[in-house]
Amino acid sequence: MIHLRNISVNQLICLVILTQVGVSVLSMPYSESRHAGYDAWLSVLLGGLLAQLMIVLIYCLAKRYPDQPIQQYIGSIVGEPFGKLLNLLVGLYCLQSSLMVVVSYVDVMNRWLLFETPWFVLVILSFGIAAYYASSTLRTMATATQSIMILFFICFLIICISGLGYGNWRHLLPIGTHGVSSIVKDSFPAFWAYAGYELLLTVFPSVSVKKKKHILVAMTIANGVTTLFYVLVSLIVLYNFDEQQLNVIQEPMVFILRKFRWPIVQSFDIVFLSTWLAVTSVTAYLYLFLAARYFAFLGRSESKKHSLIVWLISFICMVCGFFLSDRQTLFVFSAYHNKVTFGIIGVLPITLFILSIVRKKVVEL
Amino acid sequence: MNARATVEKNEQFLREFVSQSTDFRSSDVKVGEQLYRLFYIDTMIEQTLVQDNVIRPLLNHPFGSVREAVSILDYKETDSLLLAANALVEGKVVLQREGESILYLLGAELNKERTLTLPMTERALRGSHRAFTENLNTNINVIRELIASPELAVETIQIGECSKTKVGILSMRPFANEIVLQEFKRRIQTIEIDYVEAPGFVTELIQDNSFALFPNFLVTERPDRVRSYVMEGKIAILTDGSPDCILIPVSFWAFFQSPDDYQMGWLLGSVLRFLRIIGFILALFLPGLYVALVTFDPRILPFEIALTLQGSMQYISMPPVLEAITMLVILEFLREATVRLPSPIGQTIGVVGGIVIGTVVVQSNLISNMMVFVTALTGVVSFIIPSYEMASASRLLTYLFILMGSILGLTGLLLVYLYLLNHLARMNTMGIPYFTPWFNRESIKDTLFRAPLTKLTKRPMESMAKDKIRQISGGNK
Repeated sequence: MIHLRNISVNQLICLVILTQVGVSVLSMPYSESRHAGYDAWLSVLLGGLLAQLMIVLIYCLAKRYPDQPIQQYIGSIVGEPFGKLLNLLVGLYCLQSSLMVVVSYVDVMNRWLLFETPWFVLVILSFGIAAYYASSTLRTMATATQSIMILFFICFLIICISGLGYGNWRHLLPIGTHGVSSIVKDSFPAFWAYAGYELLLTVFPSVSVKKKKHILVAMTIANGVTTLFYVLVSLIVLYNFDEQQLNVIQEPMVFILRKFRWPIVQSFDIVFLSTWLAVTSVTAYLYLFLAARYFAFLGRSESKKHSLIVWLISFICMVCGFFLSDRQTLFVFSAYHNKVTFGIIGVLPITLFILSIVRKKVVEL
Repeated sequence: MNARATVEKNEQFLREFVSQSTDFRSSDVKVGEQLYRLFYIDTMIEQTLVQDNVIRPLLNHPFGSVREAVSILDYKETDSLLLAANALVEGKVVLQREGESILYLLGAELNKERTLTLPMTERALRGSHRAFTENLNTNINVIRELIASPELAVETIQIGECSKTKVGILSMRPFANEIVLQEFKRRIQTIEIDYVEAPGFVTELIQDNSFALFPNFLVTERPDRVRSYVMEGKIAILTDGSPDCILIPVSFWAFFQSPDDYQMGWLLGSVLRFLRIIGFILALFLPGLYVALVTFDPRILPFEIALTLQGSMQYISMPPVLEAITMLVILEFLREATVRLPSPIGQTIGVVGGIVIGTVVVQSNLISNMMVFVTALTGVVSFIIPSYEMASASRLLTYLFILMGSILGLTGLLLVYLYLLNHLARMNTMGIPYFTPWFNRESIKDTLFRAPLTKLTKRPMESMAKDKIRQISGGNK
């Protein structure tokens, strides 16, 4: 029988973009403008550049082991028992990311869209669809994700149309009034919004390309599109709201969508928020998939029961999700998650990369 | 079991073998000293053929061998009685000369078939107007006529323990993927069933996933369609007794292709193709979208339109979900009745369905006139899809959208969409992915739109053809 397992470069681009883009679009320049104010878009841009640096680093790391996913070679970098521990930790982090995305979007839906639907129903539905996706193969997911890309572009279009109403471009000028240090300071919350590129560590051996270099090009394109999208969203928000308003409004995009009226569609926010669910669920299911991949390598050999693991961990996630309906808890969870994110997608790849080089040098000596 | 030398013994065996059927006959021909006996099943043979080509020549050649005497092409000698008995059931005449233990199997089957007629279920404006018939040989003949190439391979196998249904597998050897062909044969040979209701049984017994919401075999009765797919490297399966041909492996998009697309120029063809896909999307979404808008998010609609909808629903006591489901079920009843009814009284359904039900249901405030409009549109639009199976799938899946739309509004619609998307991406035919997005490099040219013929230089991805190139340069520029 013919079985296609590998994904194409095109599919990789779609996967990365949609994993990076998630709930954060709705609140985009809020946390990025705490220090930088009107220069938040520069912070967002800088965050994108940071992410690009990490992508290059991850690419260099993955290229050293071109036929293996990270779960397999992590042991040979840091030693077997420690490798298993890291697999467990990163797996847990992925699970947590998935939970984070689902819960924060359910929170958004509960406040803006489906006021009367009980919290747990939304959580069950979100995790149901995410687990259904994650339990399929990478190729299947990638194929479906490509089609979701169309929805993403529709949302992109909606944002562009509704954002360019009555605003003030002078908000943005002069550029850089808040100083470089505040821009750099705010680029860290922006950097968290770019999380998702680390999936390359897992899927690197499954991308079919003529030259491995094309993967780096694809990743750059994907990260570029995400950066462009984020910067555009920030610019639109900054164009519409001034600093005082921005300090109060935590989800500026929803307000912009709500105030825009078209002759055919009155409230774009409903259309947008419903459609955006598809984009956030990409993030949710991809992290579930990654978590299952990390957990699959916990035993002595790779576990083949992928879909069982997925359904099991998403059930656990779902139960955890029931208890996060309180917004204050959500904020605490979110702050904690951001810290962990920084460790896993920032510090960990750097450490692994340095260690792998040192190891090789030691072996050569 | 070997044949005996005496005709009586053999006759006894054969009569037992055909369960003492009364249409089993034997008749003697005496030529000089020699006694010939013919065994046959009366209802299976063409009598004039036997008289003219077997009996008369035998009488004319009293001294020659049987081979020299009879003038029948389908001629075989055997000494196995069992083989002869099976041939008898297939409609052959078994001839024996008294004293010899050789049996002559002579083909003189009665062929009863209707002539090639117009396609009933797949109409097209341009192109051939010929459909397959129930006879396998005739169908293969039609295909061979259309593809006059020595590379067209025809293979016949029999399935069904009792019915011995003949199945013809047609493929172009230089293009068709060997692995797919092998896989198909492997699957079809594992079928152990008493009889085969072709081709429905074949598709159901060999499909990858028995829970598939979309059809994964293309069924067609048009020889020109079979030709175009076989030339793409796909495999055609014809079964005796049915005018339907199965094509594997197909992708989701093949169900929206029609021969018209390739006859009318690429621009018009693309528009028609696009129209069909819009039809499919509407058939899936429209009732669900209407229910979601009316029950859940009327805020989306502009105030005036919302008022219009509200006005039409003012005196209706049923909730919109129930309205939608009732109307769609009525539509299905009407459709099924139209298929079953004999054509002279078929028009009654039009009157009863269209006028009586449609008007009265609105006048009696059971169902809003907006809903009648939505349902009618859904019904019409679902019949645009060229494949009946795909049209049925769209009409069935629409209920899922209605239910979820009524529970969660637009979000519900999106959830069902996501579910179906992954279901599509998971589907396989013979291990080959069934669904690819239309905007991929391999699939952009002949899915949502049809590119000019000069651009269609490669065979489509899903047929996994060995030779991918179908034309070298871009034609005459």
